[in-house]
Amino acid sequence: MIEILSKIPRFMAYRRFGWPKMLPINLTLSPSPRCNSRCLTCNIWMKREDELTLEEWDKVFQSLGHAPFWFTVSGGEPFMNKEIVELCQSFYRHCRPGIINIPTNSLLAHRIPQKVEGICQSCPESQVIINLSLDGVGAKHDHIRGVEGNFEKFEQNYKALMALKATYSNLTIGVHSVISRFNVDDAPELFAYAFSIKPDSYITEIAEQRIELDTVGLNITPPRDKYGWAIDQLIARIESRHFGGISKVTEAFRVEYYKLVKRILAEQTQVIGCYAGWASAQIYANGEVWPCCIRADSIKNLRDVNYDFRRVWFSPEAERIRTSIRNKECYCPLANASYTNMLMHPPTVARVGAKVAMASIPLLNSREQPEPTPVLGGQ
Amino acid sequence: MQWLDEMIRAPKDAGYAERALARYRLGMKGHGALCGVRILPGDEHCPVCTHLAADMYQPDEAPRIPLAGCPYAEGCRCAYRPVMTYELVNGSAHVDP
Repeated sequence: MIEILSKIPRFMAYRRFGWPKMLPINLTLSPSPRCNSRCLTCNIWMKREDELTLEEWDKVFQSLGHAPFWFTVSGGEPFMNKEIVELCQSFYRHCRPGIINIPTNSLLAHRIPQKVEGICQSCPESQVIINLSLDGVGAKHDHIRGVEGNFEKFEQNYKALMALKATYSNLTIGVHSVISRFNVDDAPELFAYAFSIKPDSYITEIAEQRIELDTVGLNITPPRDKYGWAIDQLIARIESRHFGGISKVTEAFRVEYYKLVKRILAEQTQVIGCYAGWASAQIYANGEVWPCCIRADSIKNLRDVNYDFRRVWFSPEAERIRTSIRNKECYCPLANASYTNMLMHPPTVARVGAKVAMASIPLLNSREQPEPTPVLGGQ
Repeated sequence: MQWLDEMIRAPKDAGYAERALARYRLGMKGHGALCGVRILPGDEHCPVCTHLAADMYQPDEAPRIPLAGCPYAEGCRCAYRPVMTYELVNGSAHVDP
């Protein structure tokens, strides 16, 4: 972690001056768009790609070395990939990330715990975070996710994964909700349920238009006032609790993120500088490298450069896209990129530091109950 | 978001229509909320495509991009967009372009 913090000034210089050249610390992989959900907020499941093989992925990871600290294995549904354990083993062998983050819709609840166990065993020095999607309680979840019985599968998967935590100290189980116009009115019920089952972390993200998900132009984002109403309740829930240890930091960042989303919706610009294309990136199923999944504009395809990520990342094409991002030709509240952006934003880090310091004064917090350890992250 | 609308209006390559419509064909079979496709005009004043924008098509019946007579020399800027069941008003296929 100290190594990551030491990179922050270098990323700030890289974004501003183009030097020193840095590889991303936050990398999202989409090995396949295939998905067995039929969410109202996502159309990625309709895509089919000439997907990178495990051998091809291995070459990519080899070219990255130890640069990425945080891997997200996205999708589609990541656990539909029969080689997900081998994929994680491959990047663990070459990159040794601190965090491996995998979202899931829980529909393959009979298979997921065994796969997660395999990943935890194979990647003992990484924190493995499994985020279970939850967009409503009971039938509301099934309706939004487009699959009957999904909520039941969620509960089954959650129970089985929580049981694994007794064996694997590197396993974190989170719950992740997408707040859309389909569930924003029910957000209090959703938050109450999510907190009641006591996951290690609870994350929400706003439904937004993304090129990756083929949702550009669709009316899925909740109205700004309704989102504000909902997220203020979540912020109040978080701020009324006392967190211990590293959780003080992660929850302070999370509150900062929710406030940042409100500002981005209101101001419709990059409220803080975006580091997608510098500190974070995504590799899509067919080998294209994107700065992020919102723009999904291909810098280059790894297949065209013998799987050498550096030849993509330090190319003139990458620089052209960086210029567009730096010039604020885009903006979005994507959680995965936003957490990296906040780390690179000194005023945000200072506010988090002050909040953590205040929360550490015993007299101010003596009546509150400690919470389980949450973990920072998106997806 | 306006900037995203502009991004998907980038010039299309020759295989765009087949790729996109194959996706929506699969989407129609997949028991999701997709109920058709529409055309996002490359330019709101384009005489070739604006009159097509209000209609919903089945993937097999959608006009092929690039549209005949497209004025963009560097490639048609129109894009297919999904139409979802929750966008329909009173079951009507008419969508707001």
